[in-house]
Amino acid sequence: MNKATDNNLMEQVRDGNVEKLAILFERYHVMLYNFFLRLTSNRSISEDLVQDVFIRILKYRSTYRGQDKFIIWLYRIARNTHVDYLRKRKDELSLGEQWDEVPCQEPTPPEKVEQEQEIVRLSKALAKLPLKKREVIILCRFQNLKYKEIAELLGCQIGTVKALIHRSIKELGKAYFELSGGIAS
Amino acid sequence: MKCNQIKKGFSDFLTGEIDKTTRKEIEEHVTACGSCRDELESLSAIWTKLGVLPEEQPSESVRTRFYTALEKYKQSLEKEKAGPNLGKLLDGWIERWAPRRPVFQFSLVLMLLVVGLAAGYFLRAGLQEGGEIARLRQEVHQVRQIAEVSLLRQESLNERLRGIDVTSRVEQSDEGTLEALLRFVSSDADINTRLAAIDALQLLPDYPLVQQEFVQSISEQTSPLVEIALTLTHHIKNL
Repeated sequence: MNKATDNNLMEQVRDGNVEKLAILFERYHVMLYNFFLRLTSNRSISEDLVQDVFIRILKYRSTYRGQDKFIIWLYRIARNTHVDYLRKRKDELSLGEQWDEVPCQEPTPPEKVEQEQEIVRLSKALAKLPLKKREVIILCRFQNLKYKEIAELLGCQIGTVKALIHRSIKELGKAYFELSGGIAS
Repeated sequence: MKCNQIKKGFSDFLTGEIDKTTRKEIEEHVTACGSCRDELESLSAIWTKLGVLPEEQPSESVRTRFYTALEKYKQSLEKEKAGPNLGKLLDGWIERWAPRRPVFQFSLVLMLLVVGLAAGYFLRAGLQEGGEIARLRQEVHQVRQIAEVSLLRQESLNERLRGIDVTSRVEQSDEGTLEALLRFVSSDADINTRLAAIDALQLLPDYPLVQQEFVQSISEQTSPLVEIALTLTHHIKNL
C-alpha cells in the first residue's frame, strides 16, 4: 500500500482537508513529546507543548509551502512554541530542577537506583547548556536529524552545525563531570 | 594532518555522518596523538552515556485533547462555510461606505472624535461617580471569577494549577468556583492538583458545604498525603 508522504498530507491539511492532520499527529506526537521532555525535563509541560504545536499547525496551515520538508517545518513550529513557553513562564521553576520531583509510582529496585541517578545527572547537565546547544544535541542525538536538516532548521551552514555540536558535547561533558562531583567516568 | 583539522571531524565521527577515508584518518591520528585521543574518548563517553535517557510515551490525554481540538476546529470551519461571517460583512460595509480620499477620511475621524467627546461630556454629568466605581469594581470581580472558573475547567494540569492559584487570590468566590475546587479535591487524578485545591479552600471564608465535603472526602481518598492535608485543614477550620 502506498503510504502518503508527510508533505502530501500537510498539503491536504493546508487545502482544507484538516482530518489528515490526525495521521501526522499519530506519526509525530511521541517524537515531539520526547523532544520537549528533553528540553524541559517536565512531563506535563511537554504534553501541553505537543498540544500547542498541533494547534499552531491548524492555525498557520495556510503558510505551509510544499517545497519545505514537513519535518523541518514541524520542528520550526516546535522550537517557536518552546521559546514562547520560556518567555511566558520565565519566572517559574528553573529547568533541570524538576526530575527529582517526578513521583515514583512503585518502590525502585536497588539495581535501578544507579541508572535513575545517571538519568537525573544527564538531564541536569543538559539543562545547564544554553538553549541552542541543548537543542542541537537533542536534534542530532535523539531526534536523528541530519546535519543538513539541522542547518536548514537553524538557518546556518552545515559547518557551523558541526562546530556547534562539537562545542556542545564538550560543554555537556564538563557539566556532567561537575555534577558527578568531579569523578571521571 | 594537523590536530585542528582532525578535531573538526570529531562530531562526524560521533554522529556517524562520516566517510570511510575520514574515519580512517581520524583513527590513525588518535593512535599517535595522545591529546586528540583523550578528547575523542571523553566526547565519545558522554555521547554514549546520553543513550541512557529513556524514550517515554505521553499520557493518553494528549491524544484525547488533540482529537477534541481537531473536532472543534472542523466544526468552526464548517460554520464558517455555512453562514456569512459578521467580520467580513462589516469589512465589506466599511469598504463600501468609507471615504476614499485622505482629506475626507481625516474629516470623518475628526468629526467622530468631536461627537465622542461631546457624548462623553454629557454622559459624565448624568453619572454618579461613586456608583460608577462600585459598578466597575463589581464588573472586574465578575471578570476575575469567570477567568478563574475558565482556568479551572482546563484539561491541562498546569492550567488547572494556575486556575487554583488565581482562585486563592480572589476575595470572594462564587458557587461555581467552590464546586470546581471541591471536585478537584474529591476526584482529580493528580495529587498536586488535589493538594493545591485544599490549600485554596483553606484560604476561603468558612462555608458549611466545604466542611461537609471535607469530612466525606477524607474517607474516600487513596493518597495519605491528601488525607493528612484534609484532616489538618478540617481541624484548623474548627479551632
